Amino acid sequence: MTVRLGAATVLDDVDLTVGAGERVALAGASGAGKSTLLGVVNGTVPPSGGSVRVLGADPAALRGAALRRLRARVGTVHQHLELAGALRVVHEVNAGRLGSWPALRAAWSLVRPQGVADVVAALEQVGLADRVFDRTDALSGGQRQRVAVARVLVQRPDLVLADEPASALDPVLTERVLGLLAGPADRGGALLAALHDPALALRHCDRVVGLAAGRVVLDAPAAALTVADLAALYGTAA
Amino acid sequence: MAGRRALRSGSPVVPLLPRRAFLAGLTLATLTTGAASACGRSSPVGREAAGPGSLSVGAIPDQDPEVLQRLYGTVADSLSAALDLDVAYTPVTDYGAAVSLFRTGDLDLVWFGGLTGVQARLQTPGATTIAQRDVDADFHSVFVVQSATGLAASDDLRPLAGLRFTYGAETSTSGRLMPAWFLQQAGVDPQGFPGGPAFSGSHDATLQLVASGSYQAGVLNEQVWAARTAEGAVDPSVVAYARTPGYPDYHWLLGPRAADLAGPLRDFFTGLRADDPADAAVLDLFGAGSFVPARASDYDRIEQIGRELGLVT
Amino acid sequence: MTALLARPAAAVPRLRRDRRRWAWGLAALAAVCWSATGALDGVNPAGAAQFGAFAAAALSPALDGAFLGVLATAALVTVAYAVLGTALAVLLGALGAVAAARSTWGRRRLGRLATRGVLAVPRGLHEAVWGLLLVNVLGLDPWVGVLAIGLPYGAVTATVFGALLDEVPRGPYEALRAAGAGRLAAALYGLLPRAAGGLLSYACYRLECAVRSAVVLGLVGAGGLGYQLSLSFGSLRWPQVWSAVYALALLCLAADVAGRAVRRRLAAPRRRAGVLSRDRVLTAAVLGTLVAGAWSWWFLALSPASLVSARAREQAGFVLRAAWPPSADGDLLRSVAAAAVVTVQTSVLAVVLAAVGAVLVAGVAARPAGRCSPLRRLAGVLVRLGLLLLRAVPAPVWALVLLFVLLPGVLPGAVALGVYTLGVLGRLAAEAVEEADAGPRAALTALGAHPAGGWLYGVAPLVAGPVLAYALYRWEVTVRDTLLVGLLGAGGLGALLASELAAFDWPAVATVLTATVVLTLAVDLVGDRARRALR
Repeated sequence: MTVRLGAATVLDDVDLTVGAGERVALAGASGAGKSTLLGVVNGTVPPSGGSVRVLGADPAALRGAALRRLRARVGTVHQHLELAGALRVVHEVNAGRLGSWPALRAAWSLVRPQGVADVVAALEQVGLADRVFDRTDALSGGQRQRVAVARVLVQRPDLVLADEPASALDPVLTERVLGLLAGPADRGGALLAALHDPALALRHCDRVVGLAAGRVVLDAPAAALTVADLAALYGTAA
Repeated sequence: MAGRRALRSGSPVVPLLPRRAFLAGLTLATLTTGAASACGRSSPVGREAAGPGSLSVGAIPDQDPEVLQRLYGTVADSLSAALDLDVAYTPVTDYGAAVSLFRTGDLDLVWFGGLTGVQARLQTPGATTIAQRDVDADFHSVFVVQSATGLAASDDLRPLAGLRFTYGAETSTSGRLMPAWFLQQAGVDPQGFPGGPAFSGSHDATLQLVASGSYQAGVLNEQVWAARTAEGAVDPSVVAYARTPGYPDYHWLLGPRAADLAGPLRDFFTGLRADDPADAAVLDLFGAGSFVPARASDYDRIEQIGRELGLVT
Repeated sequence: MTALLARPAAAVPRLRRDRRRWAWGLAALAAVCWSATGALDGVNPAGAAQFGAFAAAALSPALDGAFLGVLATAALVTVAYAVLGTALAVLLGALGAVAAARSTWGRRRLGRLATRGVLAVPRGLHEAVWGLLLVNVLGLDPWVGVLAIGLPYGAVTATVFGALLDEVPRGPYEALRAAGAGRLAAALYGLLPRAAGGLLSYACYRLECAVRSAVVLGLVGAGGLGYQLSLSFGSLRWPQVWSAVYALALLCLAADVAGRAVRRRLAAPRRRAGVLSRDRVLTAAVLGTLVAGAWSWWFLALSPASLVSARAREQAGFVLRAAWPPSADGDLLRSVAAAAVVTVQTSVLAVVLAAVGAVLVAGVAARPAGRCSPLRRLAGVLVRLGLLLLRAVPAPVWALVLLFVLLPGVLPGAVALGVYTLGVLGRLAAEAVEEADAGPRAALTALGAHPAGGWLYGVAPLVAGPVLAYALYRWEVTVRDTLLVGLLGAGGLGALLASELAAFDWPAVATVLTATVVLTLAVDLVGDRARRALR
């Protein structure tokens, strides 16, 4: 997977390949370009130059159903979650399956929720099973973040992109959620996660890519790095 | 709603007007207002300056307003020439408005139907009945039906009871009052048509609605029916069904403000001669051979029927 | 982590629905079904020819110089009515706001309730009804148009201004009072500056509405564009009708665009730090309105004397004496009840038609945020133009035209109002879509959702609330408009009022008017409660 970019301000000439089974942490100060990089991969940010290959395909060359099939294999926990809010939790989680559901089934599911057992199982894993029929906007920030994770779980993607997926969670849940998001990588997929917490990045990922001002300034196996190495990326002494 | 949204967003203080601009605007406003009051401009919607020597003529809008405009334009010119008055025609949108404006004194001389004339006279003390046409003492209405109903012309009104039916204006004498009365005499409930009777607003509108099939039957002024038939303007799917017996209808009514003109006006109308080309133009437009003097008592029967049907109170 | 895993699998909870919302939802469904039973009379294909003649004339409006001249004068009259009506409304609103504000009364709830009650009466009657009543008192006088807009609008404006004043923080006012300032001075320096933006913005919105109301007043005979429209309609001259409709559309568009521009500026003023700068657009708008007011006064040749003339007093006395006491006749009350049912049914159907239509067109009508194909852009422009045309044609005109193709009953009125309301609601829904957060939908697209699915899960939930709230608010407006449509030919309370007015049965008129005010109040109350349940 190659990302080559010429976007003048945010990402500059980034070249990055993530291999099968890899768990990669993106590190860097706020504004370094982590979210933009993830956006380029999942297609929400159009690159101004260069080429992107996702799961062996070029999204720019695909249209319609074929593009949707490719996108269904990429799951994202967005930094701002991007939940509609005015829906019940079950629908927000089910939205993860919209890539494989035809439109009519999607519409009917709003009336009679489909695949509730899977949704409850996913919510169970993030400790929210009892809130399955609550309105999402009635949940706390941390609970909403777990709903977004459950959405990725029911999507069953090959590539997981996560942008600070545990920023609002307590340490126990943080461990748990990162473990869940690494699941696809363990089965031959990949995880690319933007993580602020150096210790977390080293504990859960095999490799760390450091960004600063839109450029790759660090790319090394996690085993070869210390918390202090990463802290330097943020301009602070460990 | 958009306004409400703007409100909710809690917009901060609006910059106030520059004082000089504000003062200039204010001065301009004062000046123009002053000028307006000073020169006594006549309003584009109000009545013409109503003074002695002026007469405001109106009519119930019983047919095409364009035709009325032409008709009463001619009458106004003719009156103006004969009586040496400022005569202006003011169109109104419905029958009730003609009555109200007669009462408020905005209209001095109005061509009323039988019923509206009675309403206007009862509400306006000092109103004088001036004249009617030769045809008005014995006026008729025509019931028309959609040819799709398969009804053949007949004197029996009872088959109409099951049809969707439209009258003309609510207080039209020939389009509502008398037909309703004759229906009642024939044993048909004049309000009992399926879905209730409709009021098309005018004789021409009745023809259009019956032609479209929205209504299966209707009733209109015989004179309009004859005129439209002669012009070939009637849709072939509308056919005459029955003709009512005669009754008194249209007449000129004069308001109290111009009461001293009663004599001259009566003389003017009854003096119109078919052999004089200028007079004939007016008579032609009214579809009359001549005008004859009329008295309030000529319409006693209309008043009584109006009371029975709840249209005069 | 182990502790979490050790927990037994939770049983799937039952789907619990919010009872209050469900009650409202079921009630709404029942109301719609009940209303639909009133409209089972169907269509009349035979009338398609007449309707076709009307529609075909859209492409060949009357363009002869004389008629266009008449239209231009008529448009000026309409504008003058709107401007002066709004000016009067703002004046009344400013005076009434103090009486309507919660802060004026403090704990004395009775006083506030009494004011609200007094304000509810002028608000409960449609502008056209005011127009008809005023014609009976003032005759042919331009005051009829000005008062018919100014009185009901004044009452609404007073309520809204009062609420705005209540929202302003009281700190500065209290501080000034504590420093010894008088009530008026304290209000001028402590309250007014904070509320000014909101007040001006609302006044501007009222002016936009007033243009539409002035048109409608013409339909009942008060002069202006509506009057020309109704004359042309009476003679079934479709090309002229369309010329008038296009003139209306232009006028409404101008009011729309100008009003929105000014209100946007008010919501987000541009200013430079440290410089006492004034927004040129706003200054021009306020000055222009002042000049327009002065010009309108001159153009209509308004004379305050005619309001208090002997004739006006005499006629007012006549009408009031004749109308008191209102009729309590059993037959009349029964027909009032039946007519009220028809009115409610018509309005419910109209709003449902409009809401469904608005949801369907909102996506296309909204201006797309990012890049899009020229075809999509063209479709958007066409739909927005169509919506403008729908709301430019007054509902009564739609009703009269639809009588050719729909059998008489609830349906023509409902479809006419529905079509008109769609014009309004469609735009509001499109705006809601434009303003909705684009993130959720983009996220769904990123995970491969079908566009329809993305819309259902990413856009619809965000806009459903506001659109439903708008629809309820429009329902309150539609009930008033149903009266107007009835007044000009369709059924319901309006038709009953028209026939009592035609018979000059003033006691019955008083009864029908009372029923109208009560009905509109009841509908406002229900709408308000339902909207609160939505929140």
